[in-house]
Order: sequence, then structure tokens, then C-alpha cells
Amino acid sequence: MSIIEFSNVSLTMPRTKRRQGSGRKHRLRRLAGETSRTMVPVFESVSFTINKGDSVAIVGGKPLLRTALIRLAAGTLIPDTGSVERSERVVPMIAIARAMGASFTIRQNAYLVGGLLGMSPAELAEKLSSIIEFADLGNYLDRHLRGAPTSSRQRLAWSIAMAVDADVYAIDQTLVVGELEFRQKCWSALDALRENGATFLVSSDGAKQYRRFCERGLYFEQGALIADTTVAQALALARKARREPRGD
Amino acid sequence: MLVLRDLQNQYTKFRLGYLWSLLEPLGMSLVLWLVFSVLLGERALGLSPYLLFLSVAILPWWWFTKSVNASTKIFRRARGELAFSTLPPQIWVMRTVLSSAVEFVFSLPVIVLAIALTRDLPGIYIMFFPIAIILQFLLLYGVGLLVSSLSVVIPDLARVVKIVMRAMFYLSPILYSISNIPQSLHTIAAINPLVGILGLYRIGWWPEEHTSVVALVISLSVAAALFTLGIYTFRRLKPRLLKEA
Repeated sequence: MSIIEFSNVSLTMPRTKRRQGSGRKHRLRRLAGETSRTMVPVFESVSFTINKGDSVAIVGGKPLLRTALIRLAAGTLIPDTGSVERSERVVPMIAIARAMGASFTIRQNAYLVGGLLGMSPAELAEKLSSIIEFADLGNYLDRHLRGAPTSSRQRLAWSIAMAVDADVYAIDQTLVVGELEFRQKCWSALDALRENGATFLVSSDGAKQYRRFCERGLYFEQGALIADTTVAQALALARKARREPRGD
Repeated sequence: MLVLRDLQNQYTKFRLGYLWSLLEPLGMSLVLWLVFSVLLGERALGLSPYLLFLSVAILPWWWFTKSVNASTKIFRRARGELAFSTLPPQIWVMRTVLSSAVEFVFSLPVIVLAIALTRDLPGIYIMFFPIAIILQFLLLYGVGLLVSSLSVVIPDLARVVKIVMRAMFYLSPILYSISNIPQSLHTIAAINPLVGILGLYRIGWWPEEHTSVVALVISLSVAAALFTLGIYTFRRLKPRLLKEA
């Protein structure tokens, strides 16, 4: 049974050239047409389906592509052409911690981020204790985030995202950071979710953990889906592409 | 949730906190009252008592500018949040309008104070006051959708909006009454949706503020047009907006 279906998805993303000089200089340049905004093609008619219970790794491509794929899957990005159909709620686990405010307490941040992920206040109140327990932030609950340990942002982000009642989790690699102990805790929690039949879409650079965790691999090169195979094969393709620089 | 966060952000920053939403418009009213009523003396603009006349219009105006100016920055600020949030992006506009609306409601005691000072109680038409609030809310939501989505595509729009708001301040009957405008220009003035809404705010004290129903209808239909235009533009620009996040 397919949960997410990409059909002929094409997408371009804006990219501004790096700012040069002061703000005024930059504005003048823009007026002169020197630093125009360019649209970079990210996907070119990509189609694939993800079935229930799959754990799919996204291999290859630029970080921009991988994040965009996850956002497309979750519906926080709309493709230029083609369509993305999803039949279940997808939780996008990307840079969630960026939305937190340093001057709010851990509790407020939990409500804020949970709310942004579509949880109702009542649902959050119910789950708050388990979220905090997982993130191991019990002592800091009513302290400002800026007073809590630096790692707590990430931990809180993970804990909330995993508390969302969903069947599909789209995880961006940039989220997988933190100290070893907590990382292992996350992976075992993810394993438990997988046992329960959750579906995963993981953006990957080829770390060992992904190889263990995922079965299917999607290998992208320059915006096109090259191969839809097992993780091992997709990783091998990526290694090969790295070793021999592109012909152009 | 987001509204609460906004408010908290605003009020914890300063020592006087909530009091500022009272003091700011109050100070503004006093200054304008001083200039236009005391200093300029006899060349009376607007209706008396002028202090009350001013504050009834200046509070909604304050709400209007704050909200519209904030709309230009909504999506530049919400970048990180939009990337992962599964909520519809209209929520961010709604939140901006709502939190400025709450601030407006908080500042209403200024009007009460002005009533107390001038001892001028409103008549039966005060019932239009809440209606005006609702209308203004809808107008702001529409304008917010329009401005916020457009300013993602055109970053310079924020500056333009600032100038337009400045012009609107003088083009709307805030400092003066609609009856200060020559009769022949009333219909043209009515194109400004604020004319109708501000008139509704004032009608409780000065029933003569609304002489023509036609002008009100024009005013409100322009507001309705802006509202639909906002919704339409926002829907069109939504993919683009998400990309920038």
C-alpha cells in the first residue's frame, strides 16, 4: 500500500548568490542586475512511491535536494509540476530547533514546536511528561532555553517530533546530532517505532547507522532519480560517483 | 499559541510592559490634540470634544498600521518555522493580525479615559463599534495576506508600504472629520476602506459622521475586494512562499 506517491515531480529552488560588500553595495549591485536571484533546478520529473513500513534512505545529491525531498514529502513545499500524494500524516524532522526562542522556557518551547507540528494544546499537555522524560530535561522544564545546556535544543526537538502521532517520519540528517548516549536512545526509539509499522524517509550521507536502519535506497544525481534499490547498492553508487569526478 | 508568544515577547522586553500599549496611543493623542486643538485654536478641524474624537480613530489606526507593517516581515521571520510546520501558512498572517488586535483591545481604556475626561457618553449607535472591529479585522487579514505574500516576491515592498501607510494616515479621517472634506469629494474619499470603518467607530458619538449610506457601501465593498484579492494572491504565491522558507 503506497503512502507517499511522487509523480513527475519537478522543482526549482531560489538561490541568492552570496552577499558581497555592505548592504548598500549589495542593493546597488542588485539594481545593476549583477546579483540576480537564480532558480536552481532541484528535481527533474522524479517519480517513486513509498509503501507502508518502508524505511527509505535518500542517498546522493546536494543537501538542498535532500531537504527539499523531505519537505515535499511532508507537504511543506509544493512542487512546480507533478504532484505528491500522501495518505498519512508525515512528520518532517528538519531543523526544528531553529524555531525555538531562547527567551522562552523549555515548557513553552515544547508547546510552541508541538503546535507548529500540528499537535493540539490538550494533546501536548498529555504528552509533555513523556517528551521531557525522553529529552531528559526534567530539571530544566521551567528554565529559559538559553540557561539550559546547549544540547537541549536538539534533544527537545527530537523528543517532540517523535511524540507526534504519525505513521510516517521524514528525518533530515542535520537533525541527527547530539551526544552519543542520546543518539543511541533516539535510534532505539526509532527502532521501536519501526516495529510498530511506522514508515521512514531518511536523508543520509552514508553513515553506518543508516545502513543498519534502512532497507531501500534512492540514489539521486543532479536532480534525477538514478536508482531505486537497496541501501547498500545506493551507497555503492554514491561512492563510485565520488571517486570518479563527473565527466563535465 | 503563537499569539501568546508574540505578546509575551513584546511585554517582557520593557519594564512598563502592558502599560506601553496604553501610553503610546495616549501620548500620540495628546500631542495631536495639543497641536490641532490648542495651538491651532479656532480653525477647528474635526468635531468636539477633539481629544475623544482623536482617540476613537487613532487607536484603530494604530492597530491598522502595526498590523500592515508587520505583515511585510511575516515570512522573512517565519522562515525556519515554515520549513517544517504542517500548519497552513495563513496561520502566520492570522497570528500577526490577532496579536495586534489583542494589543488594540488592551489599549481601549484610553477611550474610556477620554470619555471620562470629556464627559461625553456615546449614543445608541455605539453598537456599531464592535461591528467596526470585526470589519477591520477582516480587512486586515485580507491586506495581510496580500502584503505578506507579495513582499516575499518583492522585498522592496516593505518600504513602499511604509510610505503608503503614511499617506493613508493623512488621507483617512483621523485628524479631521469626514465633514471637513468638500461634499463633492465624499464618494472619492469613500474608496479608502478606512473611511467607512473609522466612521463606524465614531458614529456612536457623532451620528453626523455617517451621512451617506452609499459611501459606506463603497467603502466596505472596497474592503471586501481587498479581502478577496488577498486570499487569491496568497493562494497563487503559496508555492513560491514555501520555497523561500
